[in-house]
Amino acid sequence: MILWAMPDSGARTMEDYAALVALFRKENPSIDLSVRVLTRNVLWRRIFTLKDPFHEEMPDLIQIPHYWTALIVKAGIAENLSQLDPGLTLTDSLPQLKENCYQPGTKDIYSYPWWFDLSALHYRVDHLKMVSSSPDEELKTWSGLLSVCAKLREKFKNVPGYYPMQNSDWRGSLSMRSALPCMWSRELNFFTEDRAATLVGSKEFKEALHDYITLALKEYMPILRERGSLGTIVSGKASMMLARKQGISTFSAHRGMRVRTVPVPMAGDKPAAYLSGMNLFINTFSQHKKDALQFIKFCARKDIQMRYATMIEAFPAFEYAFEPFLAQSPRLQTYKHILPSAQILPNMVIMGTVMEILKRVLAMCAAQIVEHRFTQALLDKELDMTAKEIEFLLSIYKG
Amino acid sequence: MFDKRSYTLYKFHKQLNQSFQNKRELLECALQALRDLFRLDRVYFFDWQQERAILSLKMMCKKEYCMDMQEDISVANEPVFLRQLLQKGVAETTDLSYPALYVLIRWQRPSVELKSGEVRSITREKVGVLRLERFRKRRVFTPGEIDLIQDLGREISHNLYNTEVDQAKNQRLNMSTALNDLSTIFASSLRLNDGLELILKGVQRYFHFDRVHLYLTNSEGTRIKSVLGVDISGTVTHESGASLRDEEKQILKEVFDSSATYRAIRSVIYLPLKLQRTKVGFLTFDNILSRRKIGYLDFISLQQFASQMALTIDNARLFERVQELSNYDELTKLPVRRYFNEKFAEELYRAKRFGLSLSLVIMDIDFFKQINDKHGHQIGDWALKAVSKIIRSSLRQTDVPCRFGGDEMIIMLPRTNAEEAKVIARRLQERIHDITLPDRASVEPEHLSISQGVSTYPADGATADELLEKADQALYVVKQNGRGSFAVYREVADQVPQEVKKSKTVAAAEKPAATQSAHPAELSPESSDKPVSLP
Repeated sequence: MILWAMPDSGARTMEDYAALVALFRKENPSIDLSVRVLTRNVLWRRIFTLKDPFHEEMPDLIQIPHYWTALIVKAGIAENLSQLDPGLTLTDSLPQLKENCYQPGTKDIYSYPWWFDLSALHYRVDHLKMVSSSPDEELKTWSGLLSVCAKLREKFKNVPGYYPMQNSDWRGSLSMRSALPCMWSRELNFFTEDRAATLVGSKEFKEALHDYITLALKEYMPILRERGSLGTIVSGKASMMLARKQGISTFSAHRGMRVRTVPVPMAGDKPAAYLSGMNLFINTFSQHKKDALQFIKFCARKDIQMRYATMIEAFPAFEYAFEPFLAQSPRLQTYKHILPSAQILPNMVIMGTVMEILKRVLAMCAAQIVEHRFTQALLDKELDMTAKEIEFLLSIYKG
Repeated sequence: MFDKRSYTLYKFHKQLNQSFQNKRELLECALQALRDLFRLDRVYFFDWQQERAILSLKMMCKKEYCMDMQEDISVANEPVFLRQLLQKGVAETTDLSYPALYVLIRWQRPSVELKSGEVRSITREKVGVLRLERFRKRRVFTPGEIDLIQDLGREISHNLYNTEVDQAKNQRLNMSTALNDLSTIFASSLRLNDGLELILKGVQRYFHFDRVHLYLTNSEGTRIKSVLGVDISGTVTHESGASLRDEEKQILKEVFDSSATYRAIRSVIYLPLKLQRTKVGFLTFDNILSRRKIGYLDFISLQQFASQMALTIDNARLFERVQELSNYDELTKLPVRRYFNEKFAEELYRAKRFGLSLSLVIMDIDFFKQINDKHGHQIGDWALKAVSKIIRSSLRQTDVPCRFGGDEMIIMLPRTNAEEAKVIARRLQERIHDITLPDRASVEPEHLSISQGVSTYPADGATADELLEKADQALYVVKQNGRGSFAVYREVADQVPQEVKKSKTVAAAEKPAATQSAHPAELSPESSDKPVSLP
């Protein structure tokens, strides 16, 4: 049985998968499980060619971001899990994750929750103390964040390679995932309530994206740089990071260094964070559907949920594991307050495409910024065109 | 004397000298070999994206394994490092606290640039960059090592080129095979729609398109309609056949007027289906949802395929036209007797098999001979056309009318009992009565009228000739009673004279072999088309 998965734990990805597979094999010695790690880009391309008769390798199980479920159902590549096992339910799943497991408009489960993550702001207490008497208060708003960045930039102007913000994006570029809270905080969404039109071309959306881009524009956050050459919070060449929970364990490994986690600063009037869920689905062409289902159920078990979430520094996707998981550390309590304001992306056929389009827009912005030719007018024009593209997609796929 | 450098190069060459399925497989092998040779902690391969001036990370290899990764480095951010890399083909980064070396991978190759549909040959040199890191023991790279790494880089470059060429060839071969198979299936498919379905599904699957749509022109080539589509799940959708919208007509004009329809940045292509000057239709392929660019090679393959497809569609249409001509009477546009006989046998078999009723109506135009004599054959033909037009527009999709000969017509009404047949007969009678002959000399309008005889399965007979005979006898009674009306056999059976009952009607005597048996498997292709003379 083959699992296509994404590099969830950065450099430790393969080790973590090996550990998980070893646990599974111990209980299921007759099931042979191999993991292939594909980047999100590669995975996005491959799910559209799964039906290819010349396909080199046929996966049985595939990990996907939560908002791809409607797409895999539409493409006819996902097995109906409710049919495969009528006893399978989402009763214990975190409420926010449920909707994105179903075929839209039905209660048929096509993908099953695995784990999730939440975005937050992490900062070095010693650095922030130098520029603010009450960092938590100041970092409640986006304008407060920018003001703290400006003060930090001034404070550390003699430190070569210093940036107030560490870039948490894997590609080292601008990331839509980090920009989402700026949109949601304005009580704005990608689509109108009836999902018949997009708001990407609206003035508010442009402002939301601009808020996030300002971090790169004002050189508070490095983009498109050689990763190894950049400073980090741990090395003292950065003071803050807008990131998911993943990767922050390095802070705890450094004694004497205190890092605080607070909600993402509000760009609008409402607190908002990005809840990024990861699901598993069974390839409809798989010859090992029962084994694949066995693995899904194994991953959903409380002890495995707790263990794997700890391993990859994410959160368990089921309530029976989530509460005990948070109780493990006082640091995690912050996330208890962030969760109610966290939002997910809608379960729509075109959502993955919309994110791909916006990724392209941000990549273009990033290139313009480093080449010093970025203007807001260029971005606005690009977003107007993007809105038309999305409307066209909506007209074809009806959501 | 043993030359370690040459030996290392030879070993590396041997390791890479194999057939790789794709670039990923080759890189996995090459990066692992480099890692082991130079005791590296990590080694990376970046794609050089010249248009974006970005190094885009593809793969990382560390102690135990290799994996795909993502990271973008803008060359605009690193001008010094970049200049050195471009000039010398190698650069050591100075920003890191440990030794890291960048090595440029380049090759000379002809390539294509696709802008505004134009194809230009250019030479693209830089293809990627290797990054080698030693962060554990922080051992610096010696000049000898750097030289050797550059040589190995050339070996990687050579193999990358070969792998890419092999992959392209294999891909082309696979596509050609697929298209050949599809063409063969299509060409041997008797029914145009079945063939088109197969072809669209096949093209969508082999070329990984999100959607494929086919638009065809009408037989005169004046209007174009969407006819068939395949969506992302591979489901075939039979389109409504709606004509194109105004904005789409503009696209259509571009498709047919322009010879270059490929745009490299687009994930949609339109391919005209044309034969010399005849517009057959056009195909659209899109990757709007997946956003994958449609490759130029795919475009070329499809373009060749489109010409073949246009020819086959045109042939199939001609075949359908010939069939139509042989199955339909040219004057009345009603099916001819042979066609009717086949359908009648099939329907009767179905009625018997599933216990359904079936009715038969035989009719002729009252005093048709006098109309011909009085007004001429032109008006007689006009009357026949007018009557058949009413028949065609008054029946259901499942009903089968037929010009039996002269002014006599037969209508088969599947799943229809006698009462329901009477409703239809009455409707026909009324509507045909509304027809007036176009003779300006007459003061009074001269209305047409018809006489009809009806028989029903199973009440009036179990075989085709029995049913024909009974309907014929009912018609006889109507004529005897003054014409302009209809009768169901069961209701007028007692009025049929004994001699008419005893003597086989001409219709029955000349009955085609097909109608003697209700089973379609017993159909004879040599059934007679000779008109029936009613008594």
